[in-house]
Amino acid sequence: MNLAWTVERDADVSLVRCRVHNDSAVPRRVRIESQLEGPVLPPRRAGVPEAGWDETGVTLRLKPDERRALGFAALAPPVDPPVAVVRSPAVDPDGCHSGIDSEAVDPDPETCSRSPGSVRDALRDLAEHRPPRAAIAADTDTGDADRRENEAGIRADGSDDGPDIRGDDCSAADLTNGDPGSANTDLESPSRAAIDEWFDAVEHRIGRAERVTDADLSTATDAVESAGGVDELAALDERVESDAERLRDLSDRAASLATRAEATDTPIEALERLS
Amino acid sequence: MILAVAGGKGGVGKTTLAYNVAAALDAVVIDADLGMADLPGGRGPDLHDVLAGGADPIEALRPGRVDIVPCGRTLAGARACDLAALEGAVTAIEQTHGIVVLDCPAGRRADAGVPLAIADACLLVVSPRAFALADAIRTRALARELDAGLVGCAINRITAEPPTAAIADALGAPASVVPADPRVGRSVSEERPVVDAAPESDAAVAIRELVGRMPK
Repeated sequence: MNLAWTVERDADVSLVRCRVHNDSAVPRRVRIESQLEGPVLPPRRAGVPEAGWDETGVTLRLKPDERRALGFAALAPPVDPPVAVVRSPAVDPDGCHSGIDSEAVDPDPETCSRSPGSVRDALRDLAEHRPPRAAIAADTDTGDADRRENEAGIRADGSDDGPDIRGDDCSAADLTNGDPGSANTDLESPSRAAIDEWFDAVEHRIGRAERVTDADLSTATDAVESAGGVDELAALDERVESDAERLRDLSDRAASLATRAEATDTPIEALERLS
Repeated sequence: MILAVAGGKGGVGKTTLAYNVAAALDAVVIDADLGMADLPGGRGPDLHDVLAGGADPIEALRPGRVDIVPCGRTLAGARACDLAALEGAVTAIEQTHGIVVLDCPAGRRADAGVPLAIADACLLVVSPRAFALADAIRTRALARELDAGLVGCAINRITAEPPTAAIADALGAPASVVPADPRVGRSVSEERPVVDAAPESDAAVAIRELVGRMPK
């Protein structure tokens, strides 16, 4: 059994990477244990450690001449060697076909589940149940859009009546005539300030996300630290993704509105002759 | 005891059967279909809240002829659910109320697998059509992987004589035939199980037969 490894230490976390090679002519069950002073943080799926992993290491089954790469993190400082093959007995080749030897995996003593492991198996092995984020964004967006449309509909219905148009125009004209400056600020600046604020926030988020994009390990570690954890960064990633979507929608809408605006031509002179 | 009512396809009558079986067992029924809840909801916390850590499982229990733990209707709620919390929630209700029936979602994703992994036994609901049977066989395989013993299958909404023996053979469990009966269809929305509404009907007899196979 050949074992090679590298250890990297960054921000109080040791990342141990190893390659294991079964150089014998028989399948072997190999137990690889961490030599670091502290629990192993194994690779996880859906929050559940991969099969074969426990607090001290991993148990694998390797076919003859099979190579496998694996890695784990630990909070403890690195030691040399960081990992060791504890035992590697030969196993019956007709036994388990998967790479993981389920018999050798110790059941988690903390789980007082009636069916040890099977909930974890279901979580780890079956496809994700959560509806995609895009579906939820579409869901809420449609809701908002519907509401906006309804409001617009009410206004449009109102403005279909002649007198209402005049009423609206009059009130706007009154405001403008009375105190054009204040009317403008009252009507426009709060929303404009809100829009600017939103753009600033988006820009800030994108800037943060850019710092992590294609960053080397130490920059990324700094970014994780300053963000306050990987969870925060995941939330940021989610926000930036939805920002991108909204920005694209906005730019599409703005472009089509600009085209429509350019195409309009209010015949003021003709209208003046009418009145 | 925790009984999962599963079936490969949607629309074969899992919810209706789960509700009526729960009535016959005097059990609590939990709507575990996180993405497409069917059992009547209500005000107050639901299973989405429980699995998002926002409510106690007992708080979500809604008393009625059959006690129900309803499930939320939103996709965002379904996305926020932590399936790892389902076992604790179901066990808490089992401890206070005895028997729990889980109305499982269709498919083979984790939300269908975890209830099967929690359950002591499962009941498959099958539609007599060939394509539905293929899905039921896949769900049967999933239940076997996750150690949910199959106690029986219900061939649901029968109008013509189904190939009962062939279906029982394919699934490897005794099959009961639940005839199409509008009273069964209405039972969930009216909250009036068929074993009460029409105790002598063929459907009620079939449901009692299914319940008789449950492990004691």
